[in-house]
Amino acid sequence: MNEHRRQILQMLSEGKVSADEAERLISAMEEPSAATKSSAFSPTSTGKDRPKYLRVQVDSEDGGGHEGPTKVNVRVPMQLLRAGVKLAYLIPAAALQKANLAMHEKGIPVNLTQIKPENLEELIEQLNDLTVDVDQKDANTKVKVRVFCE
Amino acid sequence: MIPFVAVVSLRNQESRTFRLWIPLVLIWLLLLPLGILLSPFIFIACLVCRVNPLRGVAVMWQIVSALTDTQFEVEHRSAGVSFHIL
Repeated sequence: MNEHRRQILQMLSEGKVSADEAERLISAMEEPSAATKSSAFSPTSTGKDRPKYLRVQVDSEDGGGHEGPTKVNVRVPMQLLRAGVKLAYLIPAAALQKANLAMHEKGIPVNLTQIKPENLEELIEQLNDLTVDVDQKDANTKVKVRVFCE
Repeated sequence: MIPFVAVVSLRNQESRTFRLWIPLVLIWLLLLPLGILLSPFIFIACLVCRVNPLRGVAVMWQIVSALTDTQFEVEHRSAGVSFHIL
């Protein structure tokens, strides 16, 4: 690595490249090593820390005593979400065009044909850090919703 | 690995639990000849919709395989329903 840096500095001293170009070359040379270091230590890169399930919990308590408490607990494997987004591979182009037109009519400027399956998989990866807590308290009811990955 | 068993648990107000073990492997075995019989029609449908049939089969297989460990529970008062794919 030092050899490359020395060569760039040599080119700079010989006037073959400007100072700005030399700086850009050195920074470009350093970027891959920084990227590999950061990816090596990021928690998502190791399979150990990756959550396996998306969990949805709903606790509802009825203060009036008419309905009684209700609990919902759903556990979905993240693998199922990943497989589910791959269904995007199977959507015909004509259907995407129709969906685009319908969304434009509703004022939603989203082009579904631009969304690639890789983007959807990246979206699923980002769910790892997702936590949604909703608490609702009324006079008679108390509802608590939690969505998180574990 | 595709799931082989699903467990459905029902609990009534008197806290009596009724548990039903569903052997999914039998369902897969029943669906297999049906799938083979329908495969030409599925292939034609994929071609009409301009979908790669092999990719379609691969995605469906991945979805079925990923169903393992899916769990769904609903409790209301002392009664409840639970569905767990093993």
